[in-house]
Amino acid sequence: MTVDAGHCLTCRDTAVAATVVEVDGVNATVEFEGEHERVGIELVGLVAVGDTLLCHAGIALQKLTVAR
Amino acid sequence: MKYVDEFRSGQLAQKLAHELETLVEPGQPLRFMEVCGGHTHTIYKHGIEDLVPPEIDFLHGPGCPVCVIPMGRVDDAIALAERPEVIFTTFGDMLRVPGGRGSLLEAKARGADVRMVYSPLDALELARRNPDREVVFFAIGFETTAPATAITLLRARAEGVRNFSAFCNHVTIGPPLRTILESPGLQLDGFIAPGHVSTVIGTVPYEFMARDYGKPVVVTAFEPTDILHATVMLVRQLREGRCEVENQYTRVVCREGNPRALAVLDETMELRDTFEWRGLGWIERSALGLRPEFAAWDAEARFELPGSRVDDPKACQCGEVLVGAIKPWECKVFGTACTPERPIGTCMVSSEGACAAYYNYGRLAKRRERVPA
Repeated sequence: MTVDAGHCLTCRDTAVAATVVEVDGVNATVEFEGEHERVGIELVGLVAVGDTLLCHAGIALQKLTVAR
Repeated sequence: MKYVDEFRSGQLAQKLAHELETLVEPGQPLRFMEVCGGHTHTIYKHGIEDLVPPEIDFLHGPGCPVCVIPMGRVDDAIALAERPEVIFTTFGDMLRVPGGRGSLLEAKARGADVRMVYSPLDALELARRNPDREVVFFAIGFETTAPATAITLLRARAEGVRNFSAFCNHVTIGPPLRTILESPGLQLDGFIAPGHVSTVIGTVPYEFMARDYGKPVVVTAFEPTDILHATVMLVRQLREGRCEVENQYTRVVCREGNPRALAVLDETMELRDTFEWRGLGWIERSALGLRPEFAAWDAEARFELPGSRVDDPKACQCGEVLVGAIKPWECKVFGTACTPERPIGTCMVSSEGACAAYYNYGRLAKRRERVPA
């Protein structure tokens, strides 16, 4: 899952906001710019289809729920 | 795109740049350190240096974990990768980082089974599919990445996967910041603190910087208007005589961080007594190792490693770049002997490294500045 062209794929402080399309136990499938990826969701509590998750290195770090 | 487009608005960027112009006192220089390589990348890619008043100078900090890995640890990784029973897995940007004995990519060319993964969970899957091999994951990164390693270790233990292990090099962000704050001759007016590390650790770990060292801190995200907004917040603090930790990245960061992530880190890892950082030297209690309960998944406990210490190449000034003492282009070998294609130092290897970011985006602007049209 890339962030944008030229951006480090694996930087340890880069994460992307991706939308949940399926939930399966401790994993969810998320969609980002048309790509799908499975991520672990142990760290973000209950997750539903349509939620936006901040994902990094195959896990979700946070739910994006706080409005700016 | 949601959460991206609105933070790349040119109109908003102009508004923030104008606000900065009104806040900054002409002729009074302000030096801010952006701790994270992701911020450095955004600053150069989006030309933020050209948008802000000339009084504002961005210095690049030690927040690229690829850049701070010492050469000896890379040699240990190569020694692991060269074991015939091992499938060595790593994030892509570690492949080209030079150690004393070359890079992992060169080891792969010599026949070592080195594979790139996007997640430690991918490495665990490789272990499940290759029960006759030992799969080792090169675990590097700050508190953003460490929870992924922790989750992987917990899953490996729960599933009884015994042919997976982690070579743990996770580091923590607080101690190197203290090292920088204590460096003699420090001339910094404030810090732009990393966003996604803070998703995990919250903002409390930065409070000592404002309280004990009198430096304002703003935690921020990675889009151009985020960085401009954070810069406005820092200048406002200085103008109003405040010195606080403020959170610009409220859409994901809260003061206490992610308690679940902190809990899995605490369950699987503990602070090492000391750890070597490239450019910063040995820093006490600045890195994480696996807890003894996870020795069965700890590559350092399971395999013999050279553990040698390798001095950085003499020509390389990454250490000075990492603490903001010099700008990338002030390094003797920048853009000549050291380029992204043939890097000498880690700051040029990782695309988040200050030298690579400047090489890719900033040098053209700098050329314009030196040779006016």
